[in-house]
Amino acid sequence: MIQITDLEKFYKTEEVQTIALNKLSFNVKEGEFVAIMGPSGCGKSTLLNILGLLDDPDGGSFKFNGTEVAGYNERKRSELRKHNIGFVFQSFNLIDELTVFENVELPLIYTGVKPAERKKQVEAVLEKMQIMHRRNHFPQQLSGGQQQRVAVARAVVNNPKLILADEPTGNLDSTNGNEVMDLLIDLNEAGTTIIMVTHSEHDAKYSHRIIRMLDGQKVTENILA
Amino acid sequence: MILNYIKIAFRTLFKNKGYSFLNIFGLAIGITCASLIFLWVEDEVSFDSNFPKQDQVYYVPTHQEYDGEWRTFNSTPGPLAEAMKTEIPGIDKATPTKQADFLFTVGDHAINRSGRYVNADFIDIFSLNFIEGHKDQAFNTPEAIVITQETAEELFGKDTKVLGKTLRVNNKDNYQISGVIENLPKNITFPFNWIAPYERYTKGKEFTKEYGSFFADTFVALSPEAHFETVDAQVRNLLEQKTGESDSKAFLHAITDWHLRDKFENGKQVGGGILYVRLFTIIALIILLIACINFMNLSTARSEKRANEVGVRKAMGSGRSRLIFQFITEALILAFIATLVSILLLFLLLPQFNLIIAKDLVLGLSNPVHLLVLLGITLVCGVFAGLYPAFYLSSFKPVEVLKGLKVTQGSASFIRKGLVVGQFTISIVFIISTILVYQQIQHVKNRDLGYNKEQLISLNVNGNMIEKFDIIKQDLLKTGAITSVGLSNSELLSGGNNGSGLEWTGGTNTEDVLISFRYVNSDFLKTVGMELVEGRGFSENKEKDSSSVLITESFAKLMGTGSAIGKQVMRDDVYTVIGVVRDYQYGDMYGQSDPVLFHNYHEESSFMYLKTNPKIAPNEMLTLVEGVLKHHNPAFPFEYKFVDDTFNNKFKSEQLVGKLSQIFAILAILISCLGLFGLAAYTAEQRSKEIGVRKVLGASVSGIVRLLSKDFLKLVGLAIIIAIPIAWYSMHNWLQAYAYRIEINWWIFVIAGVVAILIALVTVSFQAIKAALANPVDSLKTE
Repeated sequence: MIQITDLEKFYKTEEVQTIALNKLSFNVKEGEFVAIMGPSGCGKSTLLNILGLLDDPDGGSFKFNGTEVAGYNERKRSELRKHNIGFVFQSFNLIDELTVFENVELPLIYTGVKPAERKKQVEAVLEKMQIMHRRNHFPQQLSGGQQQRVAVARAVVNNPKLILADEPTGNLDSTNGNEVMDLLIDLNEAGTTIIMVTHSEHDAKYSHRIIRMLDGQKVTENILA
Repeated sequence: MILNYIKIAFRTLFKNKGYSFLNIFGLAIGITCASLIFLWVEDEVSFDSNFPKQDQVYYVPTHQEYDGEWRTFNSTPGPLAEAMKTEIPGIDKATPTKQADFLFTVGDHAINRSGRYVNADFIDIFSLNFIEGHKDQAFNTPEAIVITQETAEELFGKDTKVLGKTLRVNNKDNYQISGVIENLPKNITFPFNWIAPYERYTKGKEFTKEYGSFFADTFVALSPEAHFETVDAQVRNLLEQKTGESDSKAFLHAITDWHLRDKFENGKQVGGGILYVRLFTIIALIILLIACINFMNLSTARSEKRANEVGVRKAMGSGRSRLIFQFITEALILAFIATLVSILLLFLLLPQFNLIIAKDLVLGLSNPVHLLVLLGITLVCGVFAGLYPAFYLSSFKPVEVLKGLKVTQGSASFIRKGLVVGQFTISIVFIISTILVYQQIQHVKNRDLGYNKEQLISLNVNGNMIEKFDIIKQDLLKTGAITSVGLSNSELLSGGNNGSGLEWTGGTNTEDVLISFRYVNSDFLKTVGMELVEGRGFSENKEKDSSSVLITESFAKLMGTGSAIGKQVMRDDVYTVIGVVRDYQYGDMYGQSDPVLFHNYHEESSFMYLKTNPKIAPNEMLTLVEGVLKHHNPAFPFEYKFVDDTFNNKFKSEQLVGKLSQIFAILAILISCLGLFGLAAYTAEQRSKEIGVRKVLGASVSGIVRLLSKDFLKLVGLAIIIAIPIAWYSMHNWLQAYAYRIEINWWIFVIAGVVAILIALVTVSFQAIKAALANPVDSLKTE
């Protein structure tokens, strides 16, 4: 599903150039659950942003389902993104002014789903995430775990092929964190590809494969299952 | 989708009540202000527009040459209208007219109404609509009079047929009502309540048949196919053909120009009220601009709060254009709410505004034009104010904002600062203009007029006030309320009669000089407080001074050096100068008045001046005067004017500019302060961590207030530097229109600057102090 070859990304300030990704290469197959680990500043988040088409690489190749997407413009990227990729962020990134229902509905609006169909899909996913009873609440009225469940619901509501999770449990206690991980496992078992950036060895163990990075390069790769 | 935007717009609105208030209120003030100005402009430009023949009707003024300079006068010779109609092809209708005041008496009910003597063409020129009677029979007899419906109702009550009724006029003449016309709109240049046959006015007046006397207002209508330039060229030559002299030229002044383009300089049209219409339109747009700037500023300043939302939406697949659309929709919603608020404000403020501008404007929301303009303002403001924030916000990169990076605000903060500077520049220009307009008005009002307008009242002479003058005067003096009684043929403050062609001792080319004539009684000078610089005034014995004249100092200068006493003036007869009066101001209060020649003749006086005794209370004084006049002149109502009121009325347009620029200055400052307040709050919030750290490290409250206020004051300082030359230049130009004017003093700029700084300081320091007093732990914990 994903093939990256010699991927490069630099950050430049006036005086120094930092290499965030240094000729990184790996593949992810459809249905895989991959965890990416490494110390702060090793390039994990940069990688995730490029995989999520939120950022573009400075060099190398990025093929998504066999198509080269490294040179895509914003409009093409946005098109690809909204049909194929769901995001789960460490800090949830829910829109404060929208209710739980409306937050989850958002990706469906952007993909042009009809209102009646939207309602059905949102309710189904809220049911699945067990937050249906909170559908009319605003994010600030929820606990961290609940907020992340909403964020996951939003990420999966239009059945993306790929979910990118950036430290999904980073802001949660262990009970809530485990619940979120269970959700991701369920999604993966249902066929969704998941790439997760994490600091937590505990969380990483849920995955099939752990890629460890340092200074923008892949150091080791452990296959767990 | 749009529902989603509206939803989020309203929630954002309610969640940030303070910010929403600043935004909506600022915009609402701007829209209110602009709407008031536009209503005024609408009224001004619609003057005379109710008359159907808009491209055919003309007034005929004359340019007259004196001393190589062309001056413009309203009056024309009586026979001109008829000559125009018969000799110039293309002139369809023409009428000479003469304005007059009639005292109508019905039973014991008497009212004073102004109107015009006209001929029958007048009815066609202005397409007057008859409610009673027929236009073709209206002027069949010399006793006929046509009155407006309003006048008819005032005299006879509502729903009374009045055709054929007899009207007693000025207690001596009888007129028969031959028609009632529909009421005229309020905004017309030449209002009238009645029209009567012109021949009744001219009967027995030889001068009305001569080309040498300019006294009539002439109106014409061209035939629809006539070519203006051709007709006007012939009109300009007509007086020369008739008199053989080339120093007077009648010309056509279009009905569409009567109200706003009525000023002429040296024979050229130089504007008039249109200048103020333009000026205030620009001001309205500037105030809207300031309000929109506020909106942009507050929106972009708060962008960090919205950045996350932008990031999420982009990650969810929203394209940039959708975000732009979303933010513009939000701005439009705010603008719409602001418009609703401003409609409310308009209902509250319009009556006050009407008082200031002395008009009867109505909001007229059922008028589609008004609704469209309001809608237009809303849309333009919404889109204009929303455009920049929309482009700015939608440009955020999701990676950066989602990572929680500070949004780099380099360009935005530069633009924001620029906008604050812009707002304050405009505000400071307004402050300076307000001060200068006020100063100029005061300057002219405090001008040494050459007479004393205080404690002076004027009455119109009517009935038998002249025949009984001596006894009226005695009785008035006997009351103790009046110390002196003067008579004059023309109003003290206005231009009055003038003419040229005189000769005098010691002068050369004297025929070209325009001289004003005044016919007064012996007590006139004393009554109005004019000062004799040489010689003596008129004696009470009229026979003794029947060939004596008084002249003003500027006249005396025309007679060469040495005393003017004993020198002679030739005007029909030969007169001897017996006294010189100090120059005094009349007509244009800002200009230099023409030399004056006083004759000792009061039989045709139109005005009586009474110097009142300051020891008697005004109410009591008026009762006493009324008693005397009612006794000797019972048929006429007692009507009077205080001369200082008449004087103040001469400054109506300047005073209007003064008051309006004061209001606009306050509003511009208010709106700018709302914006500054919001920005200061934002800055304090953004720098709260810095403030916390500084406080932990030992910074004092005052130090932090200084830190936060400093940046804003720099902006205001810059605004002052930009505003001063702009204000100086525009006010310098404005003052050029006045011959008698103030100098622009440097300290005015200092005052305006200090005021702007103080206002900004108060606005900003409120937020700065709040931030400085906050517990540092709070701000540090949030990170």
